[in-house]
Amino acid sequence: MTLLEAPAAPERPRAKNEGQLERATERRNRRTYLALLLPGLLGLLVSFVFPLAYMVRMSFNQGSPDGVIVETFTLDTYIQPLTDPYYWKVTLDTFQMGVTVGVLCVLVSYPVALFLARSTSKYRGLLIAIAIAPLLTSAVVRTYGWMVILGTNGLVNSSLTGLGLIDTPLKLTNNMAGVTIGLVEIFMPYAILAMISGFGRLSPQLEEAAGSLGASKFKVFTRVTLPLCLPGLLTAFLLVFVLSISTFITPRLLGGGSVQVLATEIYDQTTGLLNWPFAAALSVILLVLFGLIIAVYQRLTRKIGG
Amino acid sequence: MTESKLSIVDLTKRYAAGLEPAVDRLNMEVEEGHLVALLGPSGCGKTTTLRMVAGLMDPTAGSIVVDGKEITHTPVNKRGMGMVFQSYALFPHMNVEQNVAFGLEMRQVPKAQQKARVAAALDMVQLGHLGKRQTKELSGGQQQRIALARALVVEPTLLLLDEPLSNLDAKLRETMRTEIRSIQQRTRATTLFVTHDQDEALDMADRIAVMNGGLIEQFGSPTEVYERPRTHFVANFIGQANFLDARVGAETGRANLAGESYYRVEVEGLGQFGAVGSAGLAGTTHELVIRPHRLGVSLAPGPGPAPLAGTIERVSYTGDALAVAVRVGEKLLQAQMPTISGDLPRVGDAAYLSWAPEDAYLLPAPGAVAERLAA
Amino acid sequence: MSEAKVFKPRFNPAKPAFGLLVFLLYLFLLAPLLIVFVVSFAANQYLSFPPEGFTLKWYGMLPQEGTFMEGMKVSLIVAVIVTLIVLALGVPAALALDRFEFKAKAAVQSFFLSPLLIPSIVLALGMVLLFGPLKLTNTYAGIVIGHVAITIPFVIRTTLMSLATTDTSCEAAARILGAGSWTVFRRVTLPIIQPGVIAGGVIAFIVSFDEAVISLFVAESGLPTLPVQVLRYVENSADAAVAALSVILILISLAVVVVVERVMGLRKALR
Repeated sequence: MTLLEAPAAPERPRAKNEGQLERATERRNRRTYLALLLPGLLGLLVSFVFPLAYMVRMSFNQGSPDGVIVETFTLDTYIQPLTDPYYWKVTLDTFQMGVTVGVLCVLVSYPVALFLARSTSKYRGLLIAIAIAPLLTSAVVRTYGWMVILGTNGLVNSSLTGLGLIDTPLKLTNNMAGVTIGLVEIFMPYAILAMISGFGRLSPQLEEAAGSLGASKFKVFTRVTLPLCLPGLLTAFLLVFVLSISTFITPRLLGGGSVQVLATEIYDQTTGLLNWPFAAALSVILLVLFGLIIAVYQRLTRKIGG
Repeated sequence: MTESKLSIVDLTKRYAAGLEPAVDRLNMEVEEGHLVALLGPSGCGKTTTLRMVAGLMDPTAGSIVVDGKEITHTPVNKRGMGMVFQSYALFPHMNVEQNVAFGLEMRQVPKAQQKARVAAALDMVQLGHLGKRQTKELSGGQQQRIALARALVVEPTLLLLDEPLSNLDAKLRETMRTEIRSIQQRTRATTLFVTHDQDEALDMADRIAVMNGGLIEQFGSPTEVYERPRTHFVANFIGQANFLDARVGAETGRANLAGESYYRVEVEGLGQFGAVGSAGLAGTTHELVIRPHRLGVSLAPGPGPAPLAGTIERVSYTGDALAVAVRVGEKLLQAQMPTISGDLPRVGDAAYLSWAPEDAYLLPAPGAVAERLAA
Repeated sequence: MSEAKVFKPRFNPAKPAFGLLVFLLYLFLLAPLLIVFVVSFAANQYLSFPPEGFTLKWYGMLPQEGTFMEGMKVSLIVAVIVTLIVLALGVPAALALDRFEFKAKAAVQSFFLSPLLIPSIVLALGMVLLFGPLKLTNTYAGIVIGHVAITIPFVIRTTLMSLATTDTSCEAAARILGAGSWTVFRRVTLPIIQPGVIAGGVIAFIVSFDEAVISLFVAESGLPTLPVQVLRYVENSADAAVAALSVILILISLAVVVVVERVMGLRKALR
């Protein structure tokens, strides 16, 4: 007799306390995990949800450059940045900076990540640690380091003048070039980390297999290695892009006031001009930009993955 | 009759409403000092049963009684049991002595007494010299023994072993089998032992509960479950077996003191034979079980009761035994014969099978799961 | 074939070239940190190259630089309090997320990790807006609350990682041996997940200690932290005292890196 043909088992009488113990334990467990989660949830509510919610609300208020805030519900704060050519330029500059930094960062990180992903050296762990350790050093300190390297009397200019290659120092700070160089280096560890996690499928056997099938070194790279790396590279690019468009310290220090991006604009509106609703609106715009990019990224990775 | 150490009454576990129960109204009585093996394929409910007895899992219904006291509602840390896990579950941040002393510490045994009892427990598993070692430094077999010492040092009401040997290599597994059994007999700890390995169960247990689909198919001594399997499942799961559908004819005599009888049985296509089974089977249809090594094989028709003539279809040589599959009419019968130094039988050779009536056993029941399906 | 040919790898010029490229990129990656070391020992009065002799005077200047010492004090106090709070909030939450089953689990976990997805400048603005009316700007409480959001994800992540790799049967074994829930946590779970907790704690410490944006928004005028002081100093002065200070900050980060690498691996902790 097969299972399908079997007649339905008659309903057995249930013991009157059936499941009682399980339900009691479930209730006790629910109390326990709620108690465990509660402090953390409250902490995030106070330090994360409230500030963001308050900021979004603030963005609909009426502000003015003299610091007076009128509590209301208006879209003026959004209309201004979306219509004023200056803010379009700031937004575009920010976007452009993000793309440039993202591309350059991927280019300089890729060889390192490829090297680390393939390495079988016993120092591999150490080399990975060195590559990502700068993540845990202060952005201020690293930006300062770049000011020392790129400044008018810095390492680069002193070396070049010392060698007689140039007469007047190159202008490498207080402009977008300096900010870009600094950001590329500062986000390298993120890119490397994202790439070595994304290169999981890359195995030397695949490359050897392609080689044994007669592919040249160049062909192996373009037809096997690179396509396998692509998801990791894309993740790294988007991560760096997203980090760049929201970063503040480096544009502020290496830009020296002459590089205006969304983040520095938000700071100036907040502390200099005290136009809080406007700063809040800029932040919301930045957040929306963020959300869009993450959404696009998720669609892309799903496509590549599938 | 002695009072049971452990009684399990109608124990049921359903992981979610609507699902088939993982354990279905299970009943079992365990005598003091016995080692009971819960034996069955994965998913049969044996580990679930053990975890419910331990208190790590709540039963959906039913009760667990130890020493006459119901403990179904007693929290796990108040049950006073000892358990050895498949992964040993030694505390990685404690050394061997600290691991073994943990249960005594929880019972607030005075320090001096703790020391003595830990030392005694470690001596019992012959690892007295390793007390200060970190558990990571120990081999699998040593970790296993520490886990056993840790469970036994608290003098548990029940010792629970959850597939304790499955992470050891084959050689070590056999040594540990003997050792666990001898320690268990010395301490007289009533023990539940979960395993999917029939040899382990046959070798170590006083009683075996053969489980299938959340039910106990048979509960009995190793010889009972092997020699007198109650169901097709039991006969098939423990050892190898040939199954033949038999029409049971007349009773031909009393077979033994257990009340079993000899019968004439008829198997379609093979003829009439002698077999043994419980009383009162005459006139019914039952399954006949014959173990391959109880099937006599000869390559020439010899004397004795008319053997079955067949053809060898497969020969498998494993050094100490020779397994042959013999085709007799429609049926393919598995048989075993001792290896011989001369020429091995070849596929296509004629072979003659015979068996003693005592070795052909009529299964009394279709099986608990089959019964449930038919109900 | 009578004799096998001895296999001799052909010299491949691409290999050392690739090696050199990777070396140069590492140099680029570490350049700002290395240069700060060099400058901090250079005797040049103002930032310039090449270094004119060796000096320790910049390090000697640090204790007299009131703003640095004040900033250091503020940053240390904030980082220590933040670390303690975040461990107290994060470890239990991670425990709930790993050891219990409930419906909204995935959502709750994403929520705990989400502050990492929000630009810190946006968070910083939200905080200064909210904290202003509450009189929390320029207070320790304000900075600490601000840092809790951005450090909690690290603790949750490293603790979850440790919890996921531990064998829960150790906890079951302890319970059977008579330990209650709290004893199991204190005597078994916590020691086993200790690497994740330590890694999360030191990462939270260094993230808070080095954090500049939220501190700048919330407490620039009244209670500047060390990174804020450094930021201001760098904008206004050109001497190398800040290089000496930077070296000290780098060394603190290095200590954190070593601890994290030792207990659970930097890559695992930061991914």
